[in-house]
Amino acid sequence: MEIDDNKDNGETEEIISDLVSVDCNLSTGPGSLGPSLSNHLAPDPAGPLVNTTNVMLKAPTNSNPPSDTMAAPVPGAEAAPVPGAEAAPVPGAEAAPVPGAEAAPVPGAEAAPVPVPGAPVPVPRGPLFGAVGATVPGPETQGPQTAPVQMEKETDESSKTECQTNIGGQPEIIPEEPPGENEQDDSGEFVVTMLARGKLQEQGVGVTGGSSPLSAPSEGPSSHRDEDVTAESWRQHRKHVFVLSEAGKPIYSRYGSEEALSSTMGVMMALVSFVQSSDNTIRSVYSDGRTVVFMQKGPLVLVSVSSSRQSEQQLRGELLYVYYQIISMLTQASIARIFKNKKNYDLRRLLAGSEKILDGLLNLVDSDPSFLLAAVHCLPLASSLRDSLSQILQKAITPNLVFSILIANNQLLTIVQEKTVIEDTRLEPADVHLLLNLIGASSAFQAGEIWTPICLPLFNPDCYFYAYISYLDPPECTVCLLLLSTDKEAFYAVADCKRRIEEAMLAQSSLSLIAKARCYSVSQVGVSDLRHFMYKPFDIPDHHKQLTQFTSPEMEAPYSTDEERMRLLDLYRYMHSRIHSTSRPLKLIYHVAEKETMLAWITSKFELYTCFSPLVTKACAINAITKLLRWIKKEEDRLFIRYPPKYSTTPNPSKSSRKSDQQDSIDNGFMSLL
Amino acid sequence: MPEFSKMRKPDVKIVILGDMNVGKTSLLHRYTERKFKDTVSTVGGAFFLKQWGPYNISIWDTAGREQFHGLGSMYCRGAAAVILTYDLTNWHSLAELEERFLSLTDTANHDCIYAIVGNKADLTGNQAQQVAGQDGPTEDQGEGGGVNPPSACPTPPASPVLLSRVTLNKQVSREDAVSLYGRILRYKGMDESNCLPADKMCFETSAKTGYNVDALFETLFDMVLPSILRNRTEREQSPTVDLEDHKETGKRTRARCC
Repeated sequence: MEIDDNKDNGETEEIISDLVSVDCNLSTGPGSLGPSLSNHLAPDPAGPLVNTTNVMLKAPTNSNPPSDTMAAPVPGAEAAPVPGAEAAPVPGAEAAPVPGAEAAPVPGAEAAPVPVPGAPVPVPRGPLFGAVGATVPGPETQGPQTAPVQMEKETDESSKTECQTNIGGQPEIIPEEPPGENEQDDSGEFVVTMLARGKLQEQGVGVTGGSSPLSAPSEGPSSHRDEDVTAESWRQHRKHVFVLSEAGKPIYSRYGSEEALSSTMGVMMALVSFVQSSDNTIRSVYSDGRTVVFMQKGPLVLVSVSSSRQSEQQLRGELLYVYYQIISMLTQASIARIFKNKKNYDLRRLLAGSEKILDGLLNLVDSDPSFLLAAVHCLPLASSLRDSLSQILQKAITPNLVFSILIANNQLLTIVQEKTVIEDTRLEPADVHLLLNLIGASSAFQAGEIWTPICLPLFNPDCYFYAYISYLDPPECTVCLLLLSTDKEAFYAVADCKRRIEEAMLAQSSLSLIAKARCYSVSQVGVSDLRHFMYKPFDIPDHHKQLTQFTSPEMEAPYSTDEERMRLLDLYRYMHSRIHSTSRPLKLIYHVAEKETMLAWITSKFELYTCFSPLVTKACAINAITKLLRWIKKEEDRLFIRYPPKYSTTPNPSKSSRKSDQQDSIDNGFMSLL
Repeated sequence: MPEFSKMRKPDVKIVILGDMNVGKTSLLHRYTERKFKDTVSTVGGAFFLKQWGPYNISIWDTAGREQFHGLGSMYCRGAAAVILTYDLTNWHSLAELEERFLSLTDTANHDCIYAIVGNKADLTGNQAQQVAGQDGPTEDQGEGGGVNPPSACPTPPASPVLLSRVTLNKQVSREDAVSLYGRILRYKGMDESNCLPADKMCFETSAKTGYNVDALFETLFDMVLPSILRNRTEREQSPTVDLEDHKETGKRTRARCC
């Protein structure tokens, strides 16, 4: 058991040093600088090396201070990549490369947005490699600390999936450029610096960090679409999320309109394809106060620009949620198909109207620890009541019904699953989160009965379920019934299930009992000095088939304001990042923060995060945790869904229903769009 | 209990179609809840049951987003009336009706009624509205095409917008809608002389002010009545055995016996 006993008063320091230490670990990975650099300079056409890149951005902001000229466009970075991005995916443009013309001023930008593996793009390659060679100054010419842009690479076999570009198919392109030559160095550096600067300026990276990092959650769902992207306030957002297509077309931005950001996204895509062109994958960029994380999923590129001091791993997880939410609306198969047929398709056409759902997801990700823990929070309920609700759901079934879920105030009451389905696979917390977000983000559900296709990306990313959503207690609309069927036409049959559930609940007056159910207060635990905790057990019965859950009391004073709540969540995120650190994972952390003392503990049976008043001693805290664990054990039946009930609705096993699913997703009209 | 569910079985189906952001949900919301509120983009389709006298009318409020295009034909199956909605201030939304939504109605009843509704009338003539309000509403009556006089509406009817005073906002003229109606009938292979005249089937509404909304829905409800009655008689003569019906009659006879 390793105890991290860092009692320094400034968490800031600790975190920063942490980031550095992570980077050091990466850069000292096996075969780090030497092989990957040579790979850059003279790419081996036969051997597609798998590389991952972390870029440290520190110096550029100093050498070229962005200052107040931020609104003024940086000629090279802003203007150049966009036409390239627009034109590149058009087949005609690829077939007729303009020889040499674009090479001189902005080689990287011109060539970069052509991420077409195996496509005949011989000409832009030349200058691109020139730029690469130049921008990665050899260790002999410039030390890593003084380089304006330092790219750190490691050969990472485990991340093979991240590797996108394979130049093995183009053996004829062998760039002839002198490695490490000074002139080239300069121009190349210029390019990357400009790219980086353009990006930094648009992101607000490197801007003096006097902003409150706690601005995002309190702003609510006001219309961020109309925001002025050149304004200071836009840059100050705690966390930006961008989604773009491989062609550099904007798909989604959390703040500001996508149109206004098309040049920013062009730069992002330029960065991605720039690194990609040398068999590498850009993963993150660290700068003062901001972390930029890149993730490519199929034809989509997701970028998070965050000043939240979360770990890269956590930010990546959040981007994954955004990706899943998009998949849940369109399915992975149809996105792949769309972009296969038309590289520069504007996906906003299909996602129009869904921005609120993505906005809602990102707000939830920031404010709800379920996402961090990858577990579902269920409402504490007397087990007898939960059982009776489950039985009601269990009885109201119809063919092809696979999941019946009852939700109150965005918390799970109970979930009943089709037998064959649960044997096949289990419902992942992420899928439940997406469903809950869908319900929460659409107030339109409060009237009428909704019938909508939805894909559960972790269950099956290529198929649709059909979700029936209806509130059981209009007009309050707190108790929501969600029924998932595999049959597109089953609306009336499923709606009839709802009537039966409604009647049964009326007969047992379940609604009034549910209305009495409350989340609990930490005072009920009876442990003094304990302010808050999150407990995620791994040892639930049937654990292989069980939904991962966690329990947590309400956040009470001093965590009663949005700012304080966010601060506590940030502390939890920090503890979580330490526990799940890839380089130095910890089992137990005792962390004295400014206003509270945190203790996090992970064992094979549970993961626990606790928050104590600041004056608690270590022995005292350990003692309190023992009491807390005892209390949780006692209350287990109330806090968790213990034995998820099942029903059987499909006469034929799930195989056949899966097949019909597949057909549904195909005839869902996407082909007609193309 | 069975009576309860029986009672809610819809007699007839009406579907609202149209591009996103034309105000489909708002129209329905105005009619059912008597108020206008900001709505969020509909997901999939929303099913509502409306009591109309002794009849149950089901209304499908569909999502206009392309994302849900594939579901359209399912919503339209067996529909007795389709409300094709466009935005008066957006010419594209009218064009979309023909391009994207008309084909979805292939699964509707063969004698399905089509209404063309231009929403957001309030945006096309705020000025005109105010002027008309001062002048008195009499001159506006004939134009709106409402079968029920506005006095019958529980909502205070806002003054309709006069064609002659159309402001710049308006992108779709009534003639465009009328000619679209003609094309729809031709697409369906219907004889125009046997069908309801375009005059009666093209509406301009405002979900925000409530103008013409009640007239739209109530006119349609009246028009689908024959369809309702036919459905009912068909159901009675249907050779298939309805188990619930059987149960009920059984109960009733027992009740009579006792």
